[in-house]
Amino acid sequence: MTPRGRFLLATATGLVLAGLVHIGVVLLIPRLSKVDALSRALVGETLDHAMPVYTLATGDTPSPPEAWLPIPDPAVAVGICAYDLAEGPMRVSARTGPLMLSLAVHGRRGAFYAVTDQAAVRGGLDLVVLTRAQYDEALANADENDVTRDVRIVAPDAKGYVVVRVIAALPSQRPAANAAVQAVSCTVDLPADDKAGG
Amino acid sequence: MSAADRAAPLGVGRPRANDTATRFAGAVGRAIRRASTVSLILYTLALGAGIGLGTADYATRGGYPFGGVRVGAWTAWPRVGSVGADPYARAVNARRGEIPLAVGEGMLLTAAHDDAGSDLDATCTYIIAGITPPARAWTVTVAGRGPRDAAQPALREGFTATEILRERDGRFVITLSPEVQAGNWLPMPRASGPVRLALRLYDTPVAASAGTLEAAALPAITRTGCAA
Repeated sequence: MTPRGRFLLATATGLVLAGLVHIGVVLLIPRLSKVDALSRALVGETLDHAMPVYTLATGDTPSPPEAWLPIPDPAVAVGICAYDLAEGPMRVSARTGPLMLSLAVHGRRGAFYAVTDQAAVRGGLDLVVLTRAQYDEALANADENDVTRDVRIVAPDAKGYVVVRVIAALPSQRPAANAAVQAVSCTVDLPADDKAGG
Repeated sequence: MSAADRAAPLGVGRPRANDTATRFAGAVGRAIRRASTVSLILYTLALGAGIGLGTADYATRGGYPFGGVRVGAWTAWPRVGSVGADPYARAVNARRGEIPLAVGEGMLLTAAHDDAGSDLDATCTYIIAGITPPARAWTVTVAGRGPRDAAQPALREGFTATEILRERDGRFVITLSPEVQAGNWLPMPRASGPVRLALRLYDTPVAASAGTLEAAALPAITRTGCAA
């Protein structure tokens, strides 16, 4: 093979390699990223209420600088609850108020469930995120006479997060929106608690 | 350049060519002719890693590269928050720490151009007028690229559906301008440079069928003048 041919072959191989590296890197970024929402959410995993991600500015108090959303909506308070289903199913309870509230459940690959306060039953919205095995167990243990108001969602991965968004339509509603995000409770649903409660 | 010069071994009597381009091309040609297998393999690996990493970084930096639905001046992003998001959108979200809107939650639309197709510039005045698709709530916000200017006083960044002043027929007119305006004035977030508009629709049926969205159902963006 001529030197020029060898060089062209090396260049062509390099370009094919570049394509493979490009695809591999793009696919690996969500897994390796340290600044994505899931990695940051796991920091606040021990909390039993939603971790505020974006708190609305109220009056002269500006939005806290730790807000890490790149371009947040200045009228929407955002909170986040991380879950690890290895510890048990995750229960998210929200009381609906005058402000519009939405809950979205995100897994590793994106959001797989979302619900707004219009789906609330008697002013409450109860989501239980569980794995397939935990779901089957809950169905097997369920008492047929007991009517549950929980919305059971089977998660594709064990780790993920629930996003709470509350919209303050007017600036005067911003403190209420921040409080509504904080008021959402996220607890690990232990079977013992379930029996005691039911 | 003499023939004797050219024949001289490398490093002993370098040809003193005046033209740098010719000398560079000659050096590259010589390097190709003399390259060993090891150096060619190294070259291949460097090319693959360099171009691969560079293009991956470029494609996942800033906004989403694909998946947008162009509707007039706006681009709708219905799938970026769902499980069906493309790998690039997922990588962009992961790098920015973004929490995208899920399909059942709402939809994001962005605009970086006006209806005539020219980029939105912070020194110009724009009229954003019309209606929005059906939604329980919506917000229109403006942002510049990068962190906000600390010297600029924090004024209004956007309007919500509730607080906006409407015309008698329910339409609204927002004036995006660096100068104070009557009516719905949205101040420019910075003194100069490109800006972007974001229209977020919350709890909207449109998210499931963004492809059928018409330009008439979205506010029109018209430039009325520029300071410079």
